[in-house]
Amino acid sequence: MLRKTRSSSLTTCGPMRTLATALAITVAATTAFFAGEQEASAQEIQLTGPLAGAPAVRKLRLHRDGRFEVTPNVSFTLLDEYQRTYMPGLRLQYHFFDWLGLAVWGGYGFQVTTGLADQLQEKAIDQRNCAGNPNKKECRLTAVNLTRGNLADDQLAKFQWIAAPELHFIPFRGKIALFSSLFVDTDVNIFIGPAVVGLQERADCGRDTEGARLDPCSGNYKLESRVTAAPTFGLGLNFYPTSIFGFGAEFRGVPFEWNTSGFDNAGGDPDGEFPDDAVNGADREFKFNSMITVNLIFRFPDLEVSE
Amino acid sequence: MAMNQARVGLLVAAALMLVPLTAAAQPKQPAKAEDKAAGDKPAAGEEGGQVAGEGEPGAEPGAEGEGGEKPEGEGEGEGEGEGTPVGGGLDELCAIDPDACKAIDLPKAAARELDVEIYAVQQIYALRRLRFELNPYVGLTMNDQFVSHTAIGLQTNFYITNVIGVGLNGNFYFNSPSTFNTQTSRAARIGQSITEYQWNANANFLYVPAYGKFAGFSDFIFHYDIYLRIFFNRWFAFTAELRDYIFFDELENQLIAEGVSGDGTPRAQDPETWLSEDLSFTNNVQGQIGLSFFLPPTWEYRLPK
Repeated sequence: MLRKTRSSSLTTCGPMRTLATALAITVAATTAFFAGEQEASAQEIQLTGPLAGAPAVRKLRLHRDGRFEVTPNVSFTLLDEYQRTYMPGLRLQYHFFDWLGLAVWGGYGFQVTTGLADQLQEKAIDQRNCAGNPNKKECRLTAVNLTRGNLADDQLAKFQWIAAPELHFIPFRGKIALFSSLFVDTDVNIFIGPAVVGLQERADCGRDTEGARLDPCSGNYKLESRVTAAPTFGLGLNFYPTSIFGFGAEFRGVPFEWNTSGFDNAGGDPDGEFPDDAVNGADREFKFNSMITVNLIFRFPDLEVSE
Repeated sequence: MAMNQARVGLLVAAALMLVPLTAAAQPKQPAKAEDKAAGDKPAAGEEGGQVAGEGEPGAEPGAEGEGGEKPEGEGEGEGEGEGTPVGGGLDELCAIDPDACKAIDLPKAAARELDVEIYAVQQIYALRRLRFELNPYVGLTMNDQFVSHTAIGLQTNFYITNVIGVGLNGNFYFNSPSTFNTQTSRAARIGQSITEYQWNANANFLYVPAYGKFAGFSDFIFHYDIYLRIFFNRWFAFTAELRDYIFFDELENQLIAEGVSGDGTPRAQDPETWLSEDLSFTNNVQGQIGLSFFLPPTWEYRLPK
């Protein structure tokens, strides 16, 4: 019995010992893994000793604090369906602190058609010659949606101008080494503000959004101006090779609803998701309207250096 | 048996403790006489120039200790408040390397003219040299309005130097035609030849041209490179990438073949007529975001900063 008991106890303790061994190895491995982390940490600020309480960076060149900024720039819209917009602009800015500034930005847009718009003009308008053959099947089916003239001039929407006050936050400030030989101060800024946007869209036809009758859409193609409000926000990366000049790029979004094509896309049953032979506000779609802005930054007066 | 198990456990633990040391920051170099004279280049922040292998020619091209930069004003101690400690710091140097300390004539060394040139980045926080990188990511095509090509992918790289690497990556795609495709086709009564990607595999040559660090909210510092990688610690990073996959694509023929074949069947039913004769030069611009894991996870510099 005693022997059985002993063997039973050995059987019972065998898995326990195996588990204990495995735990010991795991602890040893974990200790080894993190030992290097504790010893070799290049960026930990010492919490004791002469550097206790020291800021992350000393003698920091304050490129923004208390300075005015004049920034000519040019913006390029991204992911365009029918027309790309190139928008020269200007931003005026004052920085209350090195991390906070208030700006006013504006620009005026010039449009260039995309390859898709060029193909539509060539194959769907010019080659069909619906002005001379209005009774052809494809001409009757596209009478509401396609002009017989110039697509860009008659119905494609245009992003004409924008003006926006903005708040700029600069959470990250540092420097970059390019090819290990060029060193430039850099920072990252985040901005947000309400924008006023001027654009042109195809004029309402068929029926307005209230249901009142308008001129029929067939053969009725003209653009009319509209002003809308939209938020604008984005992220920028800036470089400062000198104390008064810098350059950078920003990614910006200006989301709002508009009908970029002038097509009758919606308004019909069921659920308003089908064409209804009318072009009006129901045919506008939400677009993110992203763009890249390239900035040339000029700041004055002279910068200061932190403690 | 218990003793045997304990021996095995201790051996495994000892082996694991040695693993991080296999990824040394610099290659071994013969000790030079001038390295022992640690006081030859005094002045604030000169430690970066003294670290063996950092920026030395023939050691690590374009790597640790990234060139020099003259500080402005009162001597810019850029980065973590580093600077040459007075008195106590020299004692520490002697404690670490007593042979170098004996060779220094301290009063003479202190009287020498200061060389104020320092390295902007004295010890790179996240070296890449001789490390593997595993980078799972998700991607999205940025320039196709008609079909959304969402991808999941995996990239693995090996860095030969701190800035040059080679690697492989592959993508698996999930496609969905867009509403824009339907609207354009319906409104203009014109069809667009669309394509759906299934998978691709690529061999890559990598070059990392820039490395830097940011102070966040004047409180913490993080390192990044372009690429773009933002390092959370020495082995884990967030990556963002814009990649252009360039290839010649076969698209659907936009014209229906007319007439009949020799055997009397309509030519439109012949698969040979379904693809366009011309190949389409395609740029699949894909944005990718993911995480990077570097192996081995850590290393040691041979000399202190």
